[in-house]
Amino acid sequence: MQVYYLEFFVVALGLVMLMVDAFAKLQDKRSLARLGILGLGVVFLLLFAVQSPSNAASPVWKFYAAPDNLSLFFKGVALLTTILSLVMAIDFAPIVLSKIAPPDQGAHPQAGLGEFYSLPVFVCAGLMWMASANNLVSIFVSIEVVSITFIILAGYMRRNVGSLEAGVKYLILGALSAGFLVYGFAWLYGITGSMELGPITEALAKPGVNSTAAMFAFSLILVSLAFKLGAAPFHIWVPDVYQGAPTPITAFLSVGSKAGAAIVTLRLVYPYLTSPVLGTKALAILVVIAILTLLLGNLGALAQKNLKRLMGYSSVGHSGFLIMALASTSYPGAVNALSPVAVFAYYIGAYLLMTLLVFLVLNVLNAADTGETLDSIRGLAKRSPFLAGILLIALASLAGVPLTTGFIGKFLAFKIALDAGQWMLIAAALIGAAAGFYFYLKIAASMYLDAPSSSDGAAIPVNLLTKVSMVILAILILLTGIVPNVIVKLFS
Amino acid sequence: MNPDTLTWLILLLPLLSAATIVVGIGRWSNLSALVSTGTAFLSLVFSVMLATNGEAVASIAYPWIDLSPSFQVNIGFTLDKLALGMMLIVSSIGFLVHLFSLGYMRDDSGKSRYFAGLSLFLFSMSGIVLADNFVMMFIFWELVGVSSYILIGHWYEKNSAAEAGKKAFLVNRIGDFGFMTGILLVWILTGSIYFKEIAQAVGGVANAGLLNAAVLCVFAGAVGKSAQVPLHVWLPDAMEGPTPVSALIHAATMVAAGVYMLARVSFLVDASAVAGTTIAWVGAITALLAALMALQQDDIKRVLAYSTLSQLGYMVMAQGLGSAGADAGMFHLYTHAFFKALLFLGSGAVIYACHHEQDIWRMGGLRKRMPITFWTFALGTAALIAVPFTSGFWSKEAILEALLQQKMHGPYAVGIIVAFLTPFYMTRLVLVAFFGPSRTKEAEHAREVEPVMWIPLALLAVMAVFSAYRFLAAPLVAAGHADFGHFFSHFGLTATLSLVGLVGGVAGAWFLYRTAQKDPISIPLFRDKFRIDELYLFFVDKIQDGLARGLTRLDRDVIDPLIARFPAALSLAGGSVSRALQTGNVQTYAFLFGLGVVALLYFVL
Repeated sequence: MQVYYLEFFVVALGLVMLMVDAFAKLQDKRSLARLGILGLGVVFLLLFAVQSPSNAASPVWKFYAAPDNLSLFFKGVALLTTILSLVMAIDFAPIVLSKIAPPDQGAHPQAGLGEFYSLPVFVCAGLMWMASANNLVSIFVSIEVVSITFIILAGYMRRNVGSLEAGVKYLILGALSAGFLVYGFAWLYGITGSMELGPITEALAKPGVNSTAAMFAFSLILVSLAFKLGAAPFHIWVPDVYQGAPTPITAFLSVGSKAGAAIVTLRLVYPYLTSPVLGTKALAILVVIAILTLLLGNLGALAQKNLKRLMGYSSVGHSGFLIMALASTSYPGAVNALSPVAVFAYYIGAYLLMTLLVFLVLNVLNAADTGETLDSIRGLAKRSPFLAGILLIALASLAGVPLTTGFIGKFLAFKIALDAGQWMLIAAALIGAAAGFYFYLKIAASMYLDAPSSSDGAAIPVNLLTKVSMVILAILILLTGIVPNVIVKLFS
Repeated sequence: MNPDTLTWLILLLPLLSAATIVVGIGRWSNLSALVSTGTAFLSLVFSVMLATNGEAVASIAYPWIDLSPSFQVNIGFTLDKLALGMMLIVSSIGFLVHLFSLGYMRDDSGKSRYFAGLSLFLFSMSGIVLADNFVMMFIFWELVGVSSYILIGHWYEKNSAAEAGKKAFLVNRIGDFGFMTGILLVWILTGSIYFKEIAQAVGGVANAGLLNAAVLCVFAGAVGKSAQVPLHVWLPDAMEGPTPVSALIHAATMVAAGVYMLARVSFLVDASAVAGTTIAWVGAITALLAALMALQQDDIKRVLAYSTLSQLGYMVMAQGLGSAGADAGMFHLYTHAFFKALLFLGSGAVIYACHHEQDIWRMGGLRKRMPITFWTFALGTAALIAVPFTSGFWSKEAILEALLQQKMHGPYAVGIIVAFLTPFYMTRLVLVAFFGPSRTKEAEHAREVEPVMWIPLALLAVMAVFSAYRFLAAPLVAAGHADFGHFFSHFGLTATLSLVGLVGGVAGAWFLYRTAQKDPISIPLFRDKFRIDELYLFFVDKIQDGLARGLTRLDRDVIDPLIARFPAALSLAGGSVSRALQTGNVQTYAFLFGLGVVALLYFVL
């Protein structure tokens, strides 16, 4: 099977879902989400059936990269994230319904819910395309497919001020960053005369390349990518949008959008890093951004009281580790036994597992109207030992406790930074990791050691699909924490 | 099946069983017990299949931590005769203990937890036996510590049991710390953690002092696990666990792990004469002290516990000879595993029949009421006190002869003394518990135990007598078996002395205890175990706690402000700065965004 069929299938699935929503008389529109989960699950299985292209000369490959482990891995990440976001969205339905305009007389009582389930599928297609885009145009288009849909989704609960605010902020700042991206692309095209990444890489490696112009383009592009990744100093939107958006969308945004931005960053930054002329300077910028991100993200999280906002800062902090891995690339004279791409990919995979697990729990708490402040989960272990246990695993992994996948991710990031001799980075990462231990485990401690804040001691109900997803993620976190080679070997 | 599959199955089946019980089927206790016993049986079958395949080369080494080229840890297996034999011992005793537990723990409320613990223990022990490198061995070594903690403290609502579990774990930790240091030192010295590579590289190590230290550190691990002086204190207390656990942990497996590990690294002992001598002397001292303590114990299980310590002393003595004594030590480990498991399970049967009475002075007259238990127990005792032509006799002779040959005269003399003490205290035990009139109502009402409990006893009794003979021993141990020809042609000093010791010990005990109603001799020092526990307690109470208090003050007043509170305040300040940027105003955000771009461009251009 050709690799680009995957995106066709996903788009088709989204269209089918819209059609079903419009024409089939569904009693309960949550079935749509289940349909989406099923369909995406099938596409995920098809990932393993992808063959290498038969016709290498086809014009398709000028804007769509031939499949390799990296792009397939990121497609898998996109699919899994979407599936789990839909799982959350099922639980979240009552809240969405209460925060959109009440249906007209005679309309379906769940009017407006169908799109909430269909739009993520289109985002997924965009993210998958990002993983394969190898042409400036296709990169830009795929990024915008994702961004624009996310704007709608973030502001979906239009009767809720926070959600609306999140949507607007994401719209305005997103537009700003998109402008920089296009401008940067224009410069890049002007310098190299090509839209394709292959020829661009070659052109940038030539000794005669105009270094000032090239670095100008690099800066513009990097600004936009840093925005998408949530890297400092362009991370300011992250906490606000994360807090305001519906919880499933926050989860989707924090993992899906970041994974997509990560793979694009990898593809766009690599030509610069490998260029003998521009490499050192590009690397220095990355180091500065990584240090800033590690510090601002992790230290900023220390004082947070709202869990979703805290996860926003946590997301910024993890971006720091990602960029740290990238900034440890191909340092002149460094011999890396590990490929930085492997570290990068592993980190994204680990980040997916643990972040989505936290959001799955938060989503259940939200849906049970427990609130999302730190106070609201005090004594959770007494009330719902299952949720507390699951959240504990996720938090331990985020903090980087050994035998979890988060530890391996951090370990690998530190390892290649060490191999590359990036001491400043390591110092910043140490501070960041230490702060992380504090604020993640503070949550865990308050779950287990504090008395419950309310007298309401009833266990919080968790439906079967969510429960199964949680258990699978928790097992994967521990499994890849113990046997990391399953993933690392994919890229070596 | 090929050796690889078999090995993985042996290792992973018990883990699977433990996981299944804990995660899934724990609420059905009978099913849990069956699953656990079933996997133990399969382990045994697979071990036999593996052993009959002969020495094999395990080809699958799963790369676990791969930081090549500097460091790589595999999950790999050694399948030499040493490992295969040990695996058979572990799995056969393990299975019999499972079987016995089906009866002994029938009405226990924590039955599922108990069987999960047994399975986990079996898994950990198999890991130690099969490991082909130090790191893997260490991990399973620690797992054995954890699972023994669970098993010893099984009746945790009883304070003494909980304390005993804790004590076993903590005392072992001391040894383990040494073990880990030793592993790191060996790694530094030889550049490898794999036994095979270390064996080749150890000859080229120039720094003899450091090598001695490394081997002694590794030995510290064995001191902890095999309960040698001065870390022997946990083992007698560990008798608080259910009796089948005592049989499993203290006969065949956990305490044997130290001896097995020393045999596995006998090339290291060879390379360091100082360490070898130290090891032999530690073993000798343990053998002697434990035998002296056993003389005055009244608890049937404690007598056995001290006899275990004493026998372990023999094995460690042999390991001190390096590869010259490793086989003899393993031979004794192997015969001891069977007769000591028999004795423990026999005492379990007695305790069970007497309604959990453990004081031998409150028993008596059990010979007639529990004939099967009595006769099997007697056979086990015969093997332990080395009555000629029982299994224990052959292996003890092998150790003593090896000591004599290697000119270790000191430990040899101690060994002979212990060969007199052992018959004495064991005869005392049997006479008091099984002969004479019943001294309490419980003992009067004792009845023979049910088949699920006496069948393991009978099987073990057969092994206790015959396990040293070639038809049983040949496939099981690397070297050593009963050899009549050699025995009679070389009948000399060792045999004479140990026979004299045997006769003297039995006769002395017979004379003193045949009709005794209470203990005719009283030596408080032995009864109080040389007050070593009290000494440790004093040390912990006064010196260690004092030190800890001082350090706490230092920590609170100097280190905390400097290392923790100052950076914490700084970080929180940093957090507030980054929070102050979050005005929530989108115009400000856009402005900051632009500022960032300007800064970046300035930086680049």
